[in-house]
Amino acid sequence: MYLAGTGWRWCLATPRRLSHDPGAWLVNEASVIGLLEATVSFGALLYLAALGEMITEKAGILNLGVEGMMAMGAVTGFVVALHTGNPWVALAGAVAAGAAVALLHGLFTVVMGADQVVSGLSLTILGIGLAAYLGKGSVGRPSGAELSSVDWGPLSDVPWLGPVLFQQSPFVYLAVVAGVVAWFVLGRTRLGLALRAAGESASTADAAGHSVAGLRLGAVATGGALAGTSGAYLTLSLTPQWAEGIVAGRGWIAVALVIFGAWRPGRVALGALLFGLTLALKTRLQTFGVDFSPILLSMLPYLLTVGVLVAISIRARNRPSPAPAALGIAYRREER
Amino acid sequence: MNETDSTSCSPTDSTAHRPPAVELSGIWKRFPGVVANAGAHLTVLTGTVHAVLGENGAGKSTLMNVLAGVYRPDEGEVRIDGSARHFRSPADALAAGVGMVHQEFRLVPSFTVAENVVLGAVDRIVRRQSIESAVGDLAERFGLATDPVRPVWQLSMGERQRVEILKALWRDARILILDEPTAVLTPGEADELGGVLRHMADDGRTVVFISHKLHEVTGFCDEATVLRGGETVAASLPVNGTDASTLAGLMVGSAPMASERPPPCVVGEPMLEVEALSCLGDRGLQALHEVDLTVYSGEIVGIAGVAGNGQRELAQAIAGLRPTTGGSVRLGGTDLTTSTPRQRFIAGLGYIPEDRIGVGLAPRLSVTDNAILRTYTSHRKGPFLDAGAATNHCQDLVDRFGVRTGPLDEPIAGLSGGNLQRLLVGRELSDHPQVVVAAQPTRGLDVQGVKAIQDLLVAERGAGVAVLLISEDLDELLMLADRLLVMHDGRVVAEFNPETARRHAIGEAMVGHVATGAAT
Amino acid sequence: MALVVGVVLLMGSGHDPIRVYERMFDASLGGSRAWSVTLNRAVPLGLAGLAVAVAGSMGLWNIGAEGQIMAGAIGATWVARIGEGWPGPVLVPAMLAAAVVGGGLLALGPAVARARIGVNEIITTLMLNEVALRLVQWLIHGRWKDPDSHGFPLAPMLPEQGRLPNLFERAHVGVVLAGVVIALFGLAASRTAWGYELRVAGSSGATARYAGISLQRKILTVLVLSGGVAGLAGGVELTGASDRITEGLSNGFGFAGIIVAALALMRPSGVAAVALLFGAVQIGGQSIQTMGVSSSVSTILQALILFGAIAAGVFSRYRVEMVSGDAAEAVA
Repeated sequence: MYLAGTGWRWCLATPRRLSHDPGAWLVNEASVIGLLEATVSFGALLYLAALGEMITEKAGILNLGVEGMMAMGAVTGFVVALHTGNPWVALAGAVAAGAAVALLHGLFTVVMGADQVVSGLSLTILGIGLAAYLGKGSVGRPSGAELSSVDWGPLSDVPWLGPVLFQQSPFVYLAVVAGVVAWFVLGRTRLGLALRAAGESASTADAAGHSVAGLRLGAVATGGALAGTSGAYLTLSLTPQWAEGIVAGRGWIAVALVIFGAWRPGRVALGALLFGLTLALKTRLQTFGVDFSPILLSMLPYLLTVGVLVAISIRARNRPSPAPAALGIAYRREER
Repeated sequence: MNETDSTSCSPTDSTAHRPPAVELSGIWKRFPGVVANAGAHLTVLTGTVHAVLGENGAGKSTLMNVLAGVYRPDEGEVRIDGSARHFRSPADALAAGVGMVHQEFRLVPSFTVAENVVLGAVDRIVRRQSIESAVGDLAERFGLATDPVRPVWQLSMGERQRVEILKALWRDARILILDEPTAVLTPGEADELGGVLRHMADDGRTVVFISHKLHEVTGFCDEATVLRGGETVAASLPVNGTDASTLAGLMVGSAPMASERPPPCVVGEPMLEVEALSCLGDRGLQALHEVDLTVYSGEIVGIAGVAGNGQRELAQAIAGLRPTTGGSVRLGGTDLTTSTPRQRFIAGLGYIPEDRIGVGLAPRLSVTDNAILRTYTSHRKGPFLDAGAATNHCQDLVDRFGVRTGPLDEPIAGLSGGNLQRLLVGRELSDHPQVVVAAQPTRGLDVQGVKAIQDLLVAERGAGVAVLLISEDLDELLMLADRLLVMHDGRVVAEFNPETARRHAIGEAMVGHVATGAAT
Repeated sequence: MALVVGVVLLMGSGHDPIRVYERMFDASLGGSRAWSVTLNRAVPLGLAGLAVAVAGSMGLWNIGAEGQIMAGAIGATWVARIGEGWPGPVLVPAMLAAAVVGGGLLALGPAVARARIGVNEIITTLMLNEVALRLVQWLIHGRWKDPDSHGFPLAPMLPEQGRLPNLFERAHVGVVLAGVVIALFGLAASRTAWGYELRVAGSSGATARYAGISLQRKILTVLVLSGGVAGLAGGVELTGASDRITEGLSNGFGFAGIIVAALALMRPSGVAAVALLFGAVQIGGQSIQTMGVSSSVSTILQALILFGAIAAGVFSRYRVEMVSGDAAEAVA
């Protein structure tokens, strides 16, 4: 709470500075639209990775390797694009890379029962390192294939909404579709019910006849695939370039985002937009004449997440927390 | 569907031609070190409510688990509706129509009632509303009114149990087994359950339940079977025609006590005085209702009772590990009601907890570390812990109490149950307490271990210590205790003189059937 | 370890593996100069590892070492700025003390949250990493920017007196300091009553209560202490190996520290050895860059060592509980 308080104080300080110089507002339609467009773009980037992590955690596995999986997805996408010139094949490669790293985590944690924190962190280290190694020869090279914005025809020309919603990269739409599918599967299908049960009470899911290991492995792999997709978004569409460290901590934001959104697809999406806004503002604060340090602004997602977690914990005294109850706990069936 | 006359309480002729719904014969089941079922048998007629009675350790749960497919019997036969079955898993049993509601519920707290009921038995696409109304209808049909939309964590124990029952009914269980269903219910909920069970029987289903409470047996059941020592001592007794004390007597048996009692001791001052002690259990229900008891120095007071009637909570409350909602605990005149466990230890209260590993002993620590758990502050030299003194103390304990162990700095996990208990008891006794509260001290030990611990307790008594012994083993209590109290439903309901008491009067008290003037 | 060596050999493909390893070994452990560099590298790894191990011995995860290192560096730099004219023997200890305080402060929030409310410390410490990193960034770009550094923001160099003196070759006194601190903690853990209480609390919360140990106080002190040690790592790295505070100071030491601690099974006695190993691998990795092999090979090597350990079932014991309303719960 004290952290959230500090954050608020900074935010409150800003308007005062602005009022000193009303002429400094450089807000105009173009820059606001640009901001919103970037918000949606960054939001989708975060959402893809966060959605994947959410699914993994819903099944009971904590995967702190998101940053590494995104890096692997990014480098694989770029390198495959360089060699094949086909962006879709590149995307497939990125998905596979992310899923592969995730399955390693799954092997260690689900099959061998190893500690999830250690495994996830080591995969982050490995993923980032391996990605740098694989991408050595590709730094600074132009993209082999790009996925540029989708043209929705007349819709793109709608004022305001047009550029913001309808001129985005296909990844953005992919994120939306993924979100809807995830919401549907988790909430409305037998598979989703079983997966959630595995994350809440593995022994109950087991007793009901479901394979806890199978469900968890599947969830982990899906999480990796989505993280890989998110990484590919960076190198195939958003930048599109490869550089070491291109993920730049956004994998950690994704992890935070899952908690911020209380493990619900809709809330995570809203949170993604919010965090995306902070990312978008980082480079645009100057243009808006706001005298607030973009660096301090970029702390916001993390502070907000801490605040939310504290609030959840306080409420958890009287009602169960939204966190999957079996999250982080390895499951071993007891002998008969 | 209705073959039986729904108003009568006993099976009518129309069922006589049908094979019994359940027939277990000659069931043997062994676990390492213990024979749980020794040729037990059970016959249950379709459309009846059948009770299975017995003390702890009589083999009731094991037998029911065999029926439900959780265990496979070593010998014996299981027949459902006349045909022999071999269940390899609970799923097989469910396929045959046998569903069990265990004491520990297997529910997902954050899911709704409907989601819990259908988990594992639902179509690909879950249509929320149709599932919810289907579950609601099922509930209505059997008088198990529950709102299918409510999340389970909001439900009371009684409501959660209904969800468990619904789970079995959803999978079309024709034979329903309930393991001590009323242990977690309030009296009102218990009556409601009785009504539900009756309803199901009238619907042509068969209900088998394990119970200790005589009034339930007489209230809701048609027939009863009594188990003792892994065997069936009385099968399918018509409840209407049998009297309560007969049932109680069958449960505890009438074995003569030819065991040696310790020599009489001079009883001194009251050392442990518990007055009007009340506290809540783990689930928020009242576990102790104004319990009064006194233990004098130089005596062993035994507490008998079926597990789950407050004994555990009593021990915890006296030791300071469970907050109380009323009453007081005094040791030798000093009020300990608000003291911490450590303070009570220092005041002279030794406590041997029921949970050996996990409360009494720290599983991953070494023998030495465990030995000094209560007294480590006295081994301090400045900020340092005198490792030499600690090891000596530990070695001393090990020698005095005959603990067989490997090197003292190794984790205790390798020790056998008996040795663990010797270590634990030795540690508690080493500081010469004035009062010792021992909860199930000989549970799970082999013959030698049991004797060793019992000897230790008797020796303490001889030295003037006041001992409160809580045990599920009636024989042990009758042999060691100077006075015997019986607990039922969180109260002390009777006091007996172990030398002269009639066994089955004790049994009756244990099941709540206290005749006036039962204290002898 | 045999598993690890086998996997490591696989990585050697593409370049002559023997020569690569030879070079790595030479650069890290061949000769006193190499040793000095390796020891230097082992210092922050060891201290960060110690920080994580201290918390880990009670079943708590301090994932925030990365940020706490930075917080420590901030504290030390701040003292350097206000103590411009102080003599060396006064300035350096003051800087290090401020480093400890800095790291401890960053850990204070998560510690209180965990002790009082049961907020899972993994996430809180993790989040504050990023906050601390950005704080350093902000300071370097803003208040602490060296007016002489045009264009590219840099903090001014530390004064001469604000650096750790040399020990031998390239190694700085921090090596000794780190060794002493690790040894102290090792001693405390095994020989003091405090260490005993930690062990009990880490083994079982119920047993701790039974023994009269206050779990809340233990959680609080351990996490703050852990942060303080990580802060010290930052202070030592700043005053010993670096000449000014930079954004890359923590350089992954915080995360590596987690791995070091895990491999050392959360025991101070093992931390020193593992830290040396990792130091050697990292230094060796740097050296083979000139042979055309990517520096990330060393990162990969470290991760592989870890995987070997995971495969050997080393880490299969712990539990993590995300949110618990009861502070006393979920400790191991």
